[in-house]
Amino acid sequence: MASDSSPANFNNGPSSPDDSFSSPIANTSSPAHRRRRGRRQASTPSSAAATPPPNPSRFANSASTPTPARSTRRGHRPGPATSPSPAVAATPSSTDDFSMPSSEGGEDMEEATPTFVWGTNISVQDVKNAIQMFIKHFRDPQELSNDIYGEGKYTRLIHRVLEVEGEWIDVDAHDVFNYDSDLYNKMMRYPLEVLAIFDIVLMDIVSVINPLFDKHVQVRIHNLKSSTSMRNLNPSDIEKMVSLKGMVIRCSSIIPEIREAVFRCIVCGYHSEPVVVDRGRISEPTSCLKQECLAKNSMALVHNRCRFADKQIVRLQETPDEIPEGGTPHTVSLLMHDKLVDAGKPGDRVEVTGIYRAMSVRVGPTQRTVKSLFKARTYIDCLHIKKTDKSRMTAEDPMEVDKGSQRVDDDVQFDEDKVEELKELSKQPDIYERLTRSLAPNIWELDDVKKGLLCQLFGGNALKLLSGASFRGDINILLVGDPGTSKSQLLQYIHKLAPRGIYTSGRGSSAVGLTAYVAKDPETGETVLESGALVLSDRGICCIDEFDKMSDNARSMLHEVMEQQTVSIAKAGIIASLNARTSVLACANPSGSRYNPRLSVIDNIHLPPTLLSRFDLIYLILDKADEQTDRRLAKHIVSLHFEDTEIAEHDVIDLATLTAYVSYARKNIHPKLSDEAAEELTRGYVEMRKRGNFPGSSKKVITATPRQIESLIRLSEALARIRFSETVEMRDVTEAFRLLEVAMQQSATDHSTGTIDMDLITTGVSASERMRRESVLSATRNIIMDKLQLGGPSIRLLELLDEMKKQNSSTEIHLHDLRTAVATLASEGFVVLHGDSVKRM
Amino acid sequence: MGGPPYDCLVNPLGAVRLTFEKAIGSESEIPPIHPSAFNGKDWGALELFRHFLFQESGLSQVPILNPKTLRWVQPNSLVRYRGMIQDMLGNEFYAGAYKDGNLWRTNKFMDVSQYPMGSSPDMCIWERRLLYCVPVPGQSSWTEPSSEMEPNWSSQTREKRLCLPKLGCCIFQVPDDEIKNSPITKKMREDGLPSPSQSMDAKTTSSSSITSTFQSVDKDNLPCLVKIYDSPESELKLNDVFEFIGVLTFDSELAVEKDDNDELSNSFYDDALVHLPPNKVPRLHCLIHRKLAVQDFLPGSPIIEPKPHLVKETREALFRHLTAVLGNDEVAAHFVLLHLLSKVHARVDDVAVGKLSLNLTGLNKESVSVFGTRLSDTFKNLLPFTNCMPLTLEYLNTASLAPKKDYQANRLVPGILQLPEGSHLMVDETRLESGSLNSTGIENTKLLKNLIEFQKVEYDFQYYKVEMATDVQLLIFSEGKSNIVPADVIVPFQPSCLESTEMPVAEALEAWRWYLATVRSLPHSIGSEIQKVVEDDLVAARQTDRSLGSRDFSRWLTMARLISSSFGETSLSKKHWEMVKEMERLRRERLK
Repeated sequence: MASDSSPANFNNGPSSPDDSFSSPIANTSSPAHRRRRGRRQASTPSSAAATPPPNPSRFANSASTPTPARSTRRGHRPGPATSPSPAVAATPSSTDDFSMPSSEGGEDMEEATPTFVWGTNISVQDVKNAIQMFIKHFRDPQELSNDIYGEGKYTRLIHRVLEVEGEWIDVDAHDVFNYDSDLYNKMMRYPLEVLAIFDIVLMDIVSVINPLFDKHVQVRIHNLKSSTSMRNLNPSDIEKMVSLKGMVIRCSSIIPEIREAVFRCIVCGYHSEPVVVDRGRISEPTSCLKQECLAKNSMALVHNRCRFADKQIVRLQETPDEIPEGGTPHTVSLLMHDKLVDAGKPGDRVEVTGIYRAMSVRVGPTQRTVKSLFKARTYIDCLHIKKTDKSRMTAEDPMEVDKGSQRVDDDVQFDEDKVEELKELSKQPDIYERLTRSLAPNIWELDDVKKGLLCQLFGGNALKLLSGASFRGDINILLVGDPGTSKSQLLQYIHKLAPRGIYTSGRGSSAVGLTAYVAKDPETGETVLESGALVLSDRGICCIDEFDKMSDNARSMLHEVMEQQTVSIAKAGIIASLNARTSVLACANPSGSRYNPRLSVIDNIHLPPTLLSRFDLIYLILDKADEQTDRRLAKHIVSLHFEDTEIAEHDVIDLATLTAYVSYARKNIHPKLSDEAAEELTRGYVEMRKRGNFPGSSKKVITATPRQIESLIRLSEALARIRFSETVEMRDVTEAFRLLEVAMQQSATDHSTGTIDMDLITTGVSASERMRRESVLSATRNIIMDKLQLGGPSIRLLELLDEMKKQNSSTEIHLHDLRTAVATLASEGFVVLHGDSVKRM
Repeated sequence: MGGPPYDCLVNPLGAVRLTFEKAIGSESEIPPIHPSAFNGKDWGALELFRHFLFQESGLSQVPILNPKTLRWVQPNSLVRYRGMIQDMLGNEFYAGAYKDGNLWRTNKFMDVSQYPMGSSPDMCIWERRLLYCVPVPGQSSWTEPSSEMEPNWSSQTREKRLCLPKLGCCIFQVPDDEIKNSPITKKMREDGLPSPSQSMDAKTTSSSSITSTFQSVDKDNLPCLVKIYDSPESELKLNDVFEFIGVLTFDSELAVEKDDNDELSNSFYDDALVHLPPNKVPRLHCLIHRKLAVQDFLPGSPIIEPKPHLVKETREALFRHLTAVLGNDEVAAHFVLLHLLSKVHARVDDVAVGKLSLNLTGLNKESVSVFGTRLSDTFKNLLPFTNCMPLTLEYLNTASLAPKKDYQANRLVPGILQLPEGSHLMVDETRLESGSLNSTGIENTKLLKNLIEFQKVEYDFQYYKVEMATDVQLLIFSEGKSNIVPADVIVPFQPSCLESTEMPVAEALEAWRWYLATVRSLPHSIGSEIQKVVEDDLVAARQTDRSLGSRDFSRWLTMARLISSSFGETSLSKKHWEMVKEMERLRRERLK
């Protein structure tokens, strides 16, 4: 031992609390380790003599550098076995140290009075009293009213810990601050000392309550008043208590750290007393201690009688939102002990409270050189770790926003101020318009589309009946439009904004890529299920660009997803149904690249009507040759290129706030239909249905289907959510009707009649078209009856067409109309169709 | 550590020490200044160096650290290093000042304290930043300064020591630019290297240590660990190109430092340092750093005023040269010229304004081997940083384009797309064949697409990705329009002759480099009248052709700005706007 400390004595200087070794890993003494050592020094003074007296220079440090003395003090936490007599444990042993010759003691000369925290004028007794007062008398302000004379919060906690035989109590630093801000400040500045005293006080109390309790109860401070950013840690923080947020990126394997070693003499079999770790080292006896034996170099370690403790090194990295532009994330090492080991896994976002420590590193431990490289390695001795991930999200509410890894911390987002701010925002009368404006502000016009998208972002309430039937709350939207109408930009924007959005392009997506696929692990032969885009965007928005270019096979997978919100897999021995509670936002180009207004939506985009009907809103974004719009576009682009000062968009909510707003609303607001809103919905729906019945006409046009009323409910719920309102009001319903109407007007309008016709969406054929087909059919039938004999010669289709045109000059008949009509007749068995010739049967 | 007190070049630490002692004052002074007052501050040392470097023009005497000079520069002497910040290794605490007996000493700007600091109780802990720098990817050979100054700076003290290494350098200085890349010369240089260093060993012991320890350094790629003192974080950003002037430190004992460290402690410490042994990566304690623009690479560059006639002449000459290189295709030459001048000058939302990526179509494997090589040679002569990317299926499936964080080594593993501002990247798509992409391939195509559309590269930090803005000029060669890397401008390439061009003279090259560097950074504006004309034209164009969108307009305006700049003008004129329209017309005609 002695030979160890002498060459390393310069190490003792600044920042190494109690270590002076080549392998600093071993010196990161855990609280437990420090305790043990303290006990040993207190109980077996003889062995303490074996260690060289600590170099007095260690204690003479300026305030900015860590004071090893403090850690020494912490080292004197009483061990569980010692009778908790703090006065003995805390002070006398430190006087031991202090009584060492200290010629260069420097400015800190309070050592004469051992009851002061080293290098300060903080009295140990004062701190002790303060802590005792705190534990005994602190009461949670919230429960103050209940019972003034009852036990304090922490007294109760201690009782509970004793009952469950716990090893620590969590102390909220806010409580300490509220009770005694002076104590809090002392704790922040001299955590090692104050915590040591805290522990002593705690043990005192424990021993009073239950003298037989032999576990050591430690205090764990958490929830500091202020948390530091990893970037701002600097030398002045050394030996201070800090709180950091970050993401665990790496955990070392668990390192067993020896605490007590037992040696056995291989000559005589004598077992030594447990040798306790001292500053990271075990001093192996060089000879047998048994007087009769005294064999040299005969002692061997007995592994299974040694005592080990767990230790783990964890690396914490800054979260992406803290990285400044043009920087890389910083990392910091954490040292975890005992119960904290494996508390965080890579990828977890955590908030840790601990003591920032530094230790010196001497380079070239083998060389006893005067040249020394002096650097301080820093780490955080972890006291408390808290996961900030919200993985405990209840699965019952599908609309709850499960934060993906890219999202900002929940805690950051929803602290009280922020919530207040959001609520304030929601109270504004024009919040709906403002949000609309803030959505993709660089895309103009398209206000109704944006409103629809906004509804999609907020979403409706999902409903699950007891019978097992469920109604989705997600709103699906399809955008159809001419190229260059910024559909893709809208999609990109929503993708960026949406919680857990997945963006795919139709052409590049296969059915399995969207849903899930079964893969066989090449090595183990196990079948594994890999999630596709839709499953991955569960509780989010799946944006599919170029929807029309998707293969039919892939599209057919969407049927299930869009109504049932699950993906079912049945292959390779796996039968599974995966949740895919996702809103679909798709955009498609018309088949002829440009929208043909004379054709229906179905004809313009080659999508099966079954799929189309699952979209709540279908918007047509047509590029109208409008000079005004063009001019605005031109102006915008010119200013983009030539003006450095950007045209300030007024009254626009920034993206971060918008995201927070949406997330908060989705998470916390669950509007219910009010009676009058329900009334209005019924009335409006009936109205819509009625519109299909033209007076005096036998033609029956379906203008609304039950799917629409579901859509309407979802939309009105989303609209209420936008206002942070818990009830769906009349105006929400009115607006929902308007939105639906706008969307349907565009997409479901039958261009030959100008009325809304849901048949267009549901079957792809409008009612008027169907009537026309019927009239052609009957006309054809009549002509064939007239012209053709039963079993007589056949007639060519073109002749038939001429004949029909002669008879019905008023209506225009195309060959393909006729062909369909004849085909229908053929299926009735009325005629036989051979190529182009028709024969009556 | 002898030397005259003010020889900043050979004994910079002496100067540091001297200024420190001066600043701290004598022991007798009451009250004595405590060195903690200098935490994060300079005590006058930098001023001294600034004066030496810039007033006394000492800068040119400071050797630039590269594999060649590394052989003879002395540890603890002043060197320069030019490189790109590839990774940031965080902060390091060190004992900044300590008391040696009654005297305060400082450890600033050094790895190893010069005096035993064993029993010193008083100590200040200070902080410095570690930056891992690498030579700029694709740096053209012309940007490397000539090694003429070697004799100059050695003149003062150690002529004897340097005569041999100097010889060693001179011998292998001959194979320069053109032959540099041929494997024969490379081999020759490598083979030839030990001989001068061996002879040096015999002569001088002190320089031998550094030579032998640095032998493992990759001959063409010398990274450097730069330690930055007292400068705000925002000043130095990832991927910036900087020149660092500081003290090169080296201690042979440090070289073996990590050998006996067990894995355990490695996982605890700054793992990065473990993976960067000092014998592979020299350490530089930076005194002064400055950001380098393209102009700074121009040799002997007194800033020349961009006079209109000078600019026009140079433009004309450069245009002729490009036309010749491109087989007399004037339209393509025009676009290439504009492309070379483009840079991102503003970002609005996701739009990077000012970029002009170019896609030359109609090329196949054979013609690329002719024109691609020619163009690439030309660019290497004109631009400071050029890179080529052969876009084959295998390349896409295997290459790591984006930088990725390796948490085992705690290092950012560089990707091919980690490029500094103003880099030029040529993508050769002609060799791409049909086949299937694996997940890496898909990721890579996504990266390329993002790069060309938004000028952003996502760095992979495994648990999350961080988007970094870049400014890379992209030129794509392809047979048809490239969909993997969709460029702003697609120009069908129609060369009319295949004759090779003669090498331009050095003066012309220098003028062109100057032209490209200067014109690129010209400010630009638009008058209200011409703005009206432009707007009207855009509206009219859209009325006639509905397929025109904001992308096309954006392209036109970028071109307008670039054309105008290319003539050295700072505001758009009607004439140049007409030129844009004419160029666009010619281009569209070809597309038909």
